[in-house]
Amino acid sequence: MDLKKKLKSLIHKQDSQQSPVEEKISHDDFQREPSFTKFNQQQVTNPEEEQEVIDSIGEVYFKDETHDTSQLELEKLPEKLELEQIDNDRIKLRRQLQCVSRRVSELVLQNHPAYVGELQRVMELQKTLQLGSVICADARRQLSVARESFTTASLGLLANYRKRQLLKGLLKSLHTIKTMQRTDMRLREMMEEGDYCGAIQLCLECQKAAATFRHYKCISELSSKLQDTLDMLEEQLDVALSKICTNFDVHHYEKVQTAYKLLGKTQTAMDQLHMHFASAIHNTAFQIVLGYVELCSGTKETNFQKKQYADLCKYVTIESFTPCLIDLCKALWGVMRSYHKTMKWHEAHDIQTDSTESDVSRNVELSFDKRYIKQKLENGLIRIWQDVQQKVRTYILGIDLSEFKLDEFIQFLDLVNRMIEIGDEFCQSKSEGLQESLKQQSLNYFKNLHRAKMDELRMFLENEGWEMCPVKSNFHIVNLVEFRFMRHLNKDILALNHIDNSIDTNDTNFQERGGYFQDVIECSPFEIHVDQDENEDVFAGVGDVEEVERDSDSDSDIPDELKHDYIDEITGETHSRPGRRRITRSRSFHKNVSLVTNTSLNICRVIGKYMQMMRLLQPIAFDVLTSLAQLFDFYMYTVYIFFGYDLHSMDGLEINNRLKTTLLRIQTSLIVEVPLPSHTESTSQDNKDRIPQPHLSPIIDLHNASRLYGLAERIVAVESLIFLAQQLEFLEPHLETMIPSTKKAFLQQFYSQTVKMATELRKPVYWAVSSNVIHFDSILQSMSTVKWDIKEIMSQHNPYVDILIKNFADFHLRLSELSRHLPISRAAYEILWDHCIRLANRTFVDGYANAKKCTNEGRALMQLDFQQYLRSMEKLVDIRPIPDREYVETYIKAYYFPENQLESWLQEHREYTVRQLQALVSSVDHINKKARQKLCSMLEEAEKNKR
Amino acid sequence: MSETYDFLFKFLVIGSAGAGKSCILHQFIENKFKQDSNHTIGVEFGSKVVNVGGKSVKLQIWDTAGQERFRSVTRSYYRGAAGALLVYDITSRETYNALTNWLTDARTLASPNIVIILVGNKKDLETEREVTFLEASRFAQENELMFLETSALTGENVEETFLKCARSILTKIESGELDPERMGSGIQYGDASLRRLDRHKQQRELKKPDCTC
Repeated sequence: MDLKKKLKSLIHKQDSQQSPVEEKISHDDFQREPSFTKFNQQQVTNPEEEQEVIDSIGEVYFKDETHDTSQLELEKLPEKLELEQIDNDRIKLRRQLQCVSRRVSELVLQNHPAYVGELQRVMELQKTLQLGSVICADARRQLSVARESFTTASLGLLANYRKRQLLKGLLKSLHTIKTMQRTDMRLREMMEEGDYCGAIQLCLECQKAAATFRHYKCISELSSKLQDTLDMLEEQLDVALSKICTNFDVHHYEKVQTAYKLLGKTQTAMDQLHMHFASAIHNTAFQIVLGYVELCSGTKETNFQKKQYADLCKYVTIESFTPCLIDLCKALWGVMRSYHKTMKWHEAHDIQTDSTESDVSRNVELSFDKRYIKQKLENGLIRIWQDVQQKVRTYILGIDLSEFKLDEFIQFLDLVNRMIEIGDEFCQSKSEGLQESLKQQSLNYFKNLHRAKMDELRMFLENEGWEMCPVKSNFHIVNLVEFRFMRHLNKDILALNHIDNSIDTNDTNFQERGGYFQDVIECSPFEIHVDQDENEDVFAGVGDVEEVERDSDSDSDIPDELKHDYIDEITGETHSRPGRRRITRSRSFHKNVSLVTNTSLNICRVIGKYMQMMRLLQPIAFDVLTSLAQLFDFYMYTVYIFFGYDLHSMDGLEINNRLKTTLLRIQTSLIVEVPLPSHTESTSQDNKDRIPQPHLSPIIDLHNASRLYGLAERIVAVESLIFLAQQLEFLEPHLETMIPSTKKAFLQQFYSQTVKMATELRKPVYWAVSSNVIHFDSILQSMSTVKWDIKEIMSQHNPYVDILIKNFADFHLRLSELSRHLPISRAAYEILWDHCIRLANRTFVDGYANAKKCTNEGRALMQLDFQQYLRSMEKLVDIRPIPDREYVETYIKAYYFPENQLESWLQEHREYTVRQLQALVSSVDHINKKARQKLCSMLEEAEKNKR
Repeated sequence: MSETYDFLFKFLVIGSAGAGKSCILHQFIENKFKQDSNHTIGVEFGSKVVNVGGKSVKLQIWDTAGQERFRSVTRSYYRGAAGALLVYDITSRETYNALTNWLTDARTLASPNIVIILVGNKKDLETEREVTFLEASRFAQENELMFLETSALTGENVEETFLKCARSILTKIESGELDPERMGSGIQYGDASLRRLDRHKQQRELKKPDCTC
């Protein structure tokens, strides 16, 4: 088998080595074969043998083709050649060769037809190949021709076309870039035009475009520039937003808002807006105040710019205060209005977008934004008002307004009140800050005003001649111009709620028109007001129009009344004396007299002003009321000091205790203590709010008997005080409605302790006259000359009674003379006489007590005298019953009591002095000495116990 | 009141009813014309600090009622007046004719050193003039009065009137002709300490009559 393989491979090798096409097959090779076959046929016949022979062939023969077998056999030969051996070997080799040859030939013969067939196919293949080769060569030739004549040009064309396409694309990009660069300019223009929305849109588009052209080098610069522009745009937008604060413009704001929306910064915009509002408030306030300060200061100081707002406010002069305040309010109102409009815009806008938006996911975001904005705006309301309030407050408190005229001050009040109303409408704020500052300024202002008024009052008092000021007898406080505001209230005087209503109507004017912010006309509420104010009488009441009508057809105005009165008097005087007399009679001892002095008239006017201030300065109404009370206090105190103070004693007719405490209260609270030389400094602080005690005008002489010890002045003083008290009582219900209900106790106290006490002042003031006008001492003296221990009943009274009556008659005459010029009230008349009679009665008792000895007949004479006196008095004066007549009568009649009765009588009647009682006891002649002594000692005992 | 001044002068405004006394005062103090002016009842009062010759002077002005029936009430204010404005209406001869009476009142009731300035008011009503400037100035000369014509409506010469009067008083004080220390001069020193001193003196003098009885 191995051999077979080897042979095959050998053959293969020959095939591969020699191309059959190239190889020249020589038939000679094959002719040699028969020689081998011939030999083979001789020696080996059977195949087994043959196989055996082949197997015996040395391995080395199959080894290598190139191996030299002959050399090998030769080497095998031994040193000593033996022919046999060699021959044997030669036969063996021959046999072997024969066998191999035979075998090879067999194989060749076996494969020869296949070989021939194969060869034939090879030949055929060779022929086909040769044909193919010819075709190829032909094609190659043709191709080379084609290449030469056609391909190069057209491919170049194609390549160029492609290049062109690319360049076209580039050009487009370059164009866009160029546009983008130009866009920058356009953007600026748009910004200036305020088309932020368009600008942003453009800008964003550009940015997008820039992103796509990122691969160009120039673009990076451009896009950074675009970013800058966008930033600048945002800044511009911010500026535009800030403009909204002072002047809201719907279109403008819409643009800005859309722009922010485009930028996706709605919330930031809101925050920015609030910041702008805050700074707008500050800046406007500062600029306005600065403007005024610089205007006023001239060029002296230039560093106001650097001052703090609060400091700056202190530099505003009093003259420029109000215009500056108006401007300030106007400007701040403008800011608030802008804010309000902003809110309104957002409200309206929300509704609009609600209906148009449909995208769900966008909606969520939007509604979040909206909620945020809404909340922010609502919170902003209060903050803005607080800022505004703070600015106004600081401004208001920066300056002392005490030098303001009343109407100026009222204008100021009005402005601030208007601001408060605006605040209320703006965010339902109570504006505590403003209210507080208003109260503070009002209080300060009023205190100053009051101080001046009190000084003025003192001056009036010191110059007062205590002459009656001739006004109509039915003069009433409401006749005064200052009380004009009350007149229409009088019509329904007890419908007191009316006052509140009338105050309200003032305020509702604006609300009726739909509030400050709904105003269609874009006009500041402060401007409107100023115009009104100029034409308005500050003191005019609410129903002023009515008033004018009323005034024109009635003579309720004072000057007219006075003129009428005046003319009446003149005509009365010129026509006939009786006419004149009638007037005087009707005037004397009036039940109620309208008696005023210059001072009390002035007080009335001031009260009127104060009441109006209470109306206007509601927060300090109570302080005004206390000051109002002080006016009366001071007048009352002064009347007392001038006319009732220098009394020696009032003989038991003591000055009313409550009056005393009231006067003491006034003195300690109102009047400057007379500085003691030792400690003048310590009291100066307390005296700051007090006023010095006034001094009676030196022209008044209260000690002249011929002028009835200043009775006329006394009457004028006291009665004018009482008249003033009456007027105050009339005002009480009005005053009550003006003060907080918690303070009503003060008012009641004032009325019960002070106003009602005014009438009590008559007693001490008139006492001085009553006690001096009748010469009681001389009466007493003449009484002492009368002998009472007479033994017969007398039918004629003693002359001292006549003297007394003469005195009284004189006084009566002079009193009626006085009543001709001066209306003397019934009460004054009664008190005067009451005093006189009581004093006379005391004189009677004193005189009788002087009687050392007395008889029954003497007692009867006493009674006779007293009866005579009583009858004469009853003729003289119409006071019934004669006061204190029992005082005298009882004293006289006690004489008649028996001892035991007298004893109990003495114990019961303590109104007499011990001296009088002792005199009584000692004069009684019907009881024994012992009993008298007992009674006397009893009296002494009682007197001691009393002490 | 914290306002400071060097002197306080008490002034008086007198003259017939309707001459415009209250309007002059109102114009002087408020710098405004009082439109719906009523007749004055009794007296009214106003004060103003003015600057005269470098001195601040507080004028305490009593505006008296011109109507006859108020004579008795207004009399008490003449006393202690340092200066007086005697006002008449140039359009009303009646008010001019009454001047002599007013002047007599002033001379008898007020202190002898009182400085009186004659004031012809309603200068703006030139067409209705009944009293010529010459006539009035002659009257003023005869009675040793200063003289000015004013208009409370326009404010012309109003302030000048008061200033002129105050200046004249001040000159008299400086020359020693007037002694502010004297009672009833109508002049007070504004300086606080001096004023207090003044008041003490006043008190003492006031107390005197009290003691006599």
